[in-house]
Amino acid sequence: MTTKTAGILALFDYLDDVEAALETIKGRPEFKDHILYSHTSYHELVHHAEERYGPSQVRWFTLTGALTGATTGFWLPILCDLDFPLIVGGKTPAFSSLPPNLIFIFELFVLFGALATILGMLWLGRLGNPHARILDNRLMDDKFGIFVPGARVDGEEASLLKSQGAFEIKKTS
Amino acid sequence: MSDTVQWDKTISDVNEGILKGVEGRPHPTYYIALAFALTLLITGVVSWGLIATFGIGLSGKSSPVYWGTFITDFVFWVGIGHAGTLISAILFLFRAKWRNSINRSAEAMTVFAVITAGLFPLIHMGRVWNGFWTLPLPNTNNMWVNFRSPLLWDVFAISTYLTVSLLFWYMGLVPDIASLRDRVKGFKRFVYGILSLGWTGNIRQWHHYETGYGFLAALSTPLVLSVHSIVSWDFAMALQPGWHTTIFPPYFVAGAILSGCAMVYNLVVPVRKMFRLEGFIKEEHLEACLKLTLLTSTIVAYAYAIEFFIAWYSGSYYEWAIFRGRATGPYSFYFWTMTFCNCVFPLLLWSRKIRYNTPVAMVICFLINIGMWFERYNIVISSLAEDFLPGSWGHYEPSIIDMCMTFGSFGWFFTWFLIFTKFFPFVSMSELKLIMPKPLRRKPTH
Repeated sequence: MTTKTAGILALFDYLDDVEAALETIKGRPEFKDHILYSHTSYHELVHHAEERYGPSQVRWFTLTGALTGATTGFWLPILCDLDFPLIVGGKTPAFSSLPPNLIFIFELFVLFGALATILGMLWLGRLGNPHARILDNRLMDDKFGIFVPGARVDGEEASLLKSQGAFEIKKTS
Repeated sequence: MSDTVQWDKTISDVNEGILKGVEGRPHPTYYIALAFALTLLITGVVSWGLIATFGIGLSGKSSPVYWGTFITDFVFWVGIGHAGTLISAILFLFRAKWRNSINRSAEAMTVFAVITAGLFPLIHMGRVWNGFWTLPLPNTNNMWVNFRSPLLWDVFAISTYLTVSLLFWYMGLVPDIASLRDRVKGFKRFVYGILSLGWTGNIRQWHHYETGYGFLAALSTPLVLSVHSIVSWDFAMALQPGWHTTIFPPYFVAGAILSGCAMVYNLVVPVRKMFRLEGFIKEEHLEACLKLTLLTSTIVAYAYAIEFFIAWYSGSYYEWAIFRGRATGPYSFYFWTMTFCNCVFPLLLWSRKIRYNTPVAMVICFLINIGMWFERYNIVISSLAEDFLPGSWGHYEPSIIDMCMTFGSFGWFFTWFLIFTKFFPFVSMSELKLIMPKPLRRKPTH
């Protein structure tokens, strides 16, 4: 039985080698499902992700959360005042005082926006998966990796990646 | 700035060098520091236990000063928390590379400082267990909190700040915890595995992570300015002479960043030594932090001067009396201590030689923190002790319990901070790699 992680992992030492390899495999059907691994977020590689996956949709989570927060911050004091008009300084408010409400609008805008951003990062990045496993510990250290599902160590994909500077090709299962 | 840093390490040394401290034993001074922090913490806990048992009367508060050292501590610790978000969010958006080596410690400092700050309003109220009354929760009296009170604004501001700082700090930690997860075994691996959220470092994760991190930074940036502005409104919204001024928000924010930067320096320098991180947190990065301290010190000095000038120029007798009283009255010791510590001693940092002299810079930063505590003490106490009516004037001195609580808060803060340094990477490894020379086969020609 083949698993999602069955295939080959090409390990690279150098950033420019990975960039060159990505250019080479771009558009080739046998590399359609490749996954790139990096130990940090070099802009060159994130740019590659943007080309491949399009702009990150996290922004919509942020916007939705922030607007929900602002709306909540607007209505919370008003509804509370309507429910129980608190007399301050001998004055019963005919309607909630709006200037101080700006603070709640702002604070909940930021709070809900931040929470939604985190949710977006988790959801879209497929995080929170307890079964996720790292293909090679060196990928967290200082190496880059290109994983090609379904490929073989002695296959054409492996020799192409090798020719682009991969210092090791390993089988993953 | 980091382009000019001479790195004697490469990105291959980063994980090994930084995680060595987490996996191995730190320098013995770490345990001495932890023991000292725990002693202070116990002092604070015992003092709080006495207050909870015998009542809030054990603190030095009495008519007319009902805001004493607890509120001073609250404002001080919220201020300390500011530099963390400034360094991690604002400097991130400005692409200041030097922040990458100290942002993790600054963020941790923010989180623990805000948690410490949040304790004090609860302790100040006396009955800590009723603290949830400050939240807009449905209750049997069918009453809601007063949304027009600056104290409630504070509840929202501080809790939002804590939550967002915590999220920002934690998300930054995730890739580094994943590195740690893959190096340890057994129970540790299980715990770090859960905390790393299944991070594998694939480019899809980095893609959304980078975007989300940018949004978090953008959302946190106005918080840096708003939180201490809102704290300053606790005072500025009152009619008390010495408090009711429009300069308070920027003045408080500048002071907060000053104390925060000084505290970052005071924390990073010893921990850098304890965990042998000199190769990753370079002298140049520490110097940049001191430059920021110097900048904010000059802003604070300007604010002190303008406060005095406006008190005189406004023609308000009460305002001028308060300010004259601060410089020459019973609280003049605190006033002059704060002036010298916050405005005069930091001037030494104009000298490059002193910025690179770690022991002297440590002393200056330590003095700034003392000065900032006295600044808050000066603001809180002097205005309350002598207001409009001489007949209601009084004098305030903190009790032993007050002082023990203040020292206890330092113990609480340092204990958490030291525990953090032992179990999590003190330097953001994934971000540090971004400011080090890239691993290129073909060396750049420019």
